[in-house]
Amino acid sequence: MGQGRRKMTRNPRFTKRLLTALTAGLALLGLTEHAQAQELYMTGPLAGSPAVRKLRLYRQTRLEIAPAISFTLLDEYQRTILLGARLQFNFTDWLAIGGWGGLGSAIRLPTALTDNIQTVNAQRQKDQAPCVGMNTPACEGPNLTKRLTAVNMGPDLKKQLGGIDWIVSPQITLTPFRGKLALFQSIYLDTDLYISAGPAFVGLTERKNCDPCVNQFATASRTAVAPNVAAGLSFYVNKWSALGFEYRLVPFAWNISGFDTAGGGKDKGFPDNKIDSSDQRWRWNQMMTISYNFYLPTQYKVSE
Amino acid sequence: MKKSCIGLLIAALGAIPTTGFAQVKVGAKAEAGATIDADAEGADAKAGGDAKGSGDAAAAGEGDLGGAGEGVGDICKIDPSACPVLDMKKEAARPIKESIYAVQQLYVMRARRLEFNPWYNVSSLNDQFVQHKGPGVALTYFITNVLAIGANFRYYSPFNTDSAFNGQVRRAARVAVPLNEYQWGASLDFNYVFAYGKFAGFGDFIFEYDAYVLGGVGALSTRPIAVIDPDNRNFAYEPKLAADAGLGLRVFLSRWFAVNVAVKDYIYPEKLESLSVNEVDPGNKDGWVDKNPKLTNDVELQLGLSIFVPFSFDYRLPK
Repeated sequence: MGQGRRKMTRNPRFTKRLLTALTAGLALLGLTEHAQAQELYMTGPLAGSPAVRKLRLYRQTRLEIAPAISFTLLDEYQRTILLGARLQFNFTDWLAIGGWGGLGSAIRLPTALTDNIQTVNAQRQKDQAPCVGMNTPACEGPNLTKRLTAVNMGPDLKKQLGGIDWIVSPQITLTPFRGKLALFQSIYLDTDLYISAGPAFVGLTERKNCDPCVNQFATASRTAVAPNVAAGLSFYVNKWSALGFEYRLVPFAWNISGFDTAGGGKDKGFPDNKIDSSDQRWRWNQMMTISYNFYLPTQYKVSE
Repeated sequence: MKKSCIGLLIAALGAIPTTGFAQVKVGAKAEAGATIDADAEGADAKAGGDAKGSGDAAAAGEGDLGGAGEGVGDICKIDPSACPVLDMKKEAARPIKESIYAVQQLYVMRARRLEFNPWYNVSSLNDQFVQHKGPGVALTYFITNVLAIGANFRYYSPFNTDSAFNGQVRRAARVAVPLNEYQWGASLDFNYVFAYGKFAGFGDFIFEYDAYVLGGVGALSTRPIAVIDPDNRNFAYEPKLAADAGLGLRVFLSRWFAVNVAVKDYIYPEKLESLSVNEVDPGNKDGWVDKNPKLTNDVELQLGLSIFVPFSFDYRLPK
C-alpha cells in the first residue's frame, strides 16, 4: 500500500495531469459562480419602485352597475335565461362588496327531451281516452302505461317542471389578476380576471310534495339557500364601461322534472310513489353570464 | 501532451479572474461596478476622473455601466477623447415618443415551433345523457407566429359514461332516449392565435396567455347504445366524417410550457337507434338504426398541457 502511494506521488506525468484537472475543475467552479453572481443592484428611481407605474385603477372607489343576462347550462328539461344585474362597490382595485341577482321566470325554453316526452305523453292520452273503464285486450297496453306513469306524468309535462324564478346573492369579489390583451394584433384592451363568492338565495318552483300523487301535479314555490361561486373576465372598452363574461355555479338539490325517482327500496334509490325531498337531485346549476359594466364616477384614478 | 496540459492550465487559470468581475453582492456599493444607477450624482459622466464614487470603477464617471477595467470605463482610460459625454439634463429634456406597444416583446414566439399538446376531455358540455370523456393528443406546427396546422387524436372507448339520469327517465316516463358512445376521433386543423396578453397576479408575478380558434375536418367513430331493444341489438362502431371548430386558451408558465384549456365542437351525422322494433324479425339489422342521420354536436371541454419544441428561440430584434 505504502509502495503504491509512493509510486503515485513520484510519477511526474500523473502529478501534472492531476494538477491540470484540479485547476480546470476549480476554473469551472469559478465559471459557475460567475453565472450565479449576475445580480443587478438597482439604485436610483427604480429602487423600491412599484412593478407598474401609472396604473389605471378601473375599480378603486368606484360603483359598478352591470346589467347582465345569464344562460343556464347542461339543462335536462328546461333552459332558463335570467335577466338581472350585478351591483357592487369597489373599495380597492382588488376588493368589492355587492350582489348579483336575476329573474328567471320570464324566459324558459324546454329542451328537445321535454318535447319528445310530451309528444309521447300526448299520444298516450289520446290512445287511452277511449279505454277509460274498459278492460278489453286492445286497452290493456294503454291502461298499463297510464298506471305505470300515473305518479310521474301529468297531462302536460312542461307544467310540472321545476324552474328557477329568481336568484339573489350578496357576494365578495376579488380581482387578483389584471392585464392587457392584444386582439388581432391591432386592438388593445385592459382586462381583469375576478372571482366572486357568497351565499345565494334561490326562488324555485317545483312539483308540490304529495302522497298519494295520482292526478296531483300542482307546483309550489320554495326558497333554497346555496353557495354561489363565479369567475369572470372584464374587458374595458373605455374609462367608464367594460364588457364582462362570467361563469357561475350555484349548486343545490331540486326536483327538475317533477318525477318520483327516489325514496324507496335499496338505499332509497327507487321510486316510492311519493313526491318529497328525496326526489330532489343534486345539480351544479352552471350558468354563463354576459354583462355590460358601467363604472361611477366615470373617470378612473391612476396610480403613481 | 505536456503542451496540451500547459495550454489547459493557462485556459483554466484565465477563466478564474472572470469570477471576480461578477461577484457583486446585492446591497453592495457602487464600488464593485456592475450596477445600474440611472440618476446617480454627477451623472454627467465626465471622461476620466472626476470620480465621486469610491473605487477605481469611478474612473468612468458615476452612472456608467460596467465595472473596473471594462465597458465605457476602458474607452475613457485608453482614449479620453473617445469617451462618450452625455449632458443628462439635455438628454432628459429631449422629447420622447411615448407610444408604447401593449406587448413590447412577445414572451413566446411560436413561429416554426412544434406544439405537443396532450389533454383530457373533462366534460361533454352539451350531452346530459352520456359523457364522452377521454385522453387526446395534438401535434401542431406554427407556420407563423399566429397561424398553425395540426393533427389530433382522441380516444374515448373505455371512458363513455352513461348518466343515471337516463335510467330514471326511462323508469319514470316510460320513454327511452336514444344514446350513443364514441370510440375514437381524429382531425386535421388550422389554428389561428387571435389574441394574446398578460396578467399581473396579486401585483407580484406576471403570466402571459394567448387565445386561439381552430377549425378542421376529420373522423369520429361512434355507435348507438342499445336501449330500445337491448336483447336483440348490438351495434358496431362506425367512423363518420366530422368537422370541428373550437376556441382555446394557453396560459404560459415558461417560454415552452403552458396550460391549455379548449372548448371544441365536433359536428358529425349520427345514426341513432331506431325507436321502433320489428317484432316479426327483431334480429334484422336493417331496422336497428334511424334511416335519416341527425347532425349532432359534441361540445367538449379539454384540459391539457402545451409543450413547445425547440424549447428556446431567438428574437429577431433586441428588446
